Amino acid sequence: MRRFTSQPIENPARPGEPDFARADLVFYGVDHSGPSFEARIFLNSPEADLTTPRDDASYAGSFTIFGHAGCAGDVGHCDVPTGPKDPFDRRPPHALTPQIKTVIVTEALRAIPTDQLTITVVPVRPGAKGAEVVDALKFDRFSLLTYA
Amino acid sequence: MSTGAASPQQPTVALQHRLNVDSMSSEQLAKFRAAMASAMSISDERGYNYQAGIHGLPLPISCDVAHGHPVFLPWHRAYLYFFELTLRDLQPDVMLPWWDWTTDSAIPGAYNEATVDGKPNPLYSAKVDPVALEQGARSGDPRAPNTVREPGAEGAPPLPTKAEVEGVLALPSFEDFTHQLEQLHNNVHVWVGGNAGHMGDIQFAAFDPIFWAHHVMIDRVWRIWQLRHPQAGVPAALLAQALAPFNMTVTQTLDTSALGYDYALQVNGTSGTSE
Repeated sequence: MRRFTSQPIENPARPGEPDFARADLVFYGVDHSGPSFEARIFLNSPEADLTTPRDDASYAGSFTIFGHAGCAGDVGHCDVPTGPKDPFDRRPPHALTPQIKTVIVTEALRAIPTDQLTITVVPVRPGAKGAEVVDALKFDRFSLLTYA
Repeated sequence: MSTGAASPQQPTVALQHRLNVDSMSSEQLAKFRAAMASAMSISDERGYNYQAGIHGLPLPISCDVAHGHPVFLPWHRAYLYFFELTLRDLQPDVMLPWWDWTTDSAIPGAYNEATVDGKPNPLYSAKVDPVALEQGARSGDPRAPNTVREPGAEGAPPLPTKAEVEGVLALPSFEDFTHQLEQLHNNVHVWVGGNAGHMGDIQFAAFDPIFWAHHVMIDRVWRIWQLRHPQAGVPAALLAQALAPFNMTVTQTLDTSALGYDYALQVNGTSGTSE
């Protein structure tokens, strides 16, 4: 996808909630088979886009995909096996097994003590004519975790 | 830091020290350039293309077992170790330098000059293995036959700051530390490579000579973390893992002094012979 905005979720930083020492935004099942890009994350800023600066109050951090940039093998080479693995199969995981990305957002979250929270992710990469939003962001789900 | 490694065969072995590329003497830099140039002229497994190709193309892409995985640091430490030995076969005592991207907001001068003394600078660009180029083109990722960079291109993430590195060094768990350090590492790759540069692409990154200086910096940060967190370490379940294609396990990468090297800001001294 070119851009992601979540449905509103409860904000663990809203007034009345217990304080936390750390907050992580964790993205599961992140695809890295395509180009490299930076996924910029904004809180409560569904309109955030390529032009939203890093010093915007809604900017929470980013993760960067060091991308595989396509499949150089033959047909099937880059298909990640699905289903249970043979317990005697000692081979390492498939190269394109989706990754987990954790972004520490403690201070950014504390700065936005609203009741509800939306997460917006804008995938950006340097293009031939400058920065561009790239259609390479794929992940299964995300969680916002806080720790005492 | 350690000053020597003991083994039954060699009770006292002087460690070699990796240096900041900006702190290298002209003589050290000349030896390093000579080693890289020699490696680039060799087409067999002692040569630069073979070593660079281990990371990405030509297939198989061996680093695939390392990225996004807790063996990211051990795998790349083994990679640097074997590449450094390859260079030292060509130029005794040469060591890989690091690029401190927290203080250099640009490509270091040693890597940024197209020519040195009228000759092509082997740290500026390298020829890419034609088989890798052909495979990359087949995957929809055509690249220039000689490595190029687009440092700081619009849309690239910024280089890591000292504060960010200190934040990562403060993380007490190895899993947390390696994950966050790998993120900083990814940022540097994309910052250097930009759109068309080889560093921003897993398949070609290691062909760019600055790849090694970047990864030595990453390895150095890990070494500093090891010193600051002596009680923490790699999870036990990973220790016996082999780091293919290197004949080394995770455990065998943990002690840099056992690998014969450490990191130093400066190495000053002179001959012990007096008149």
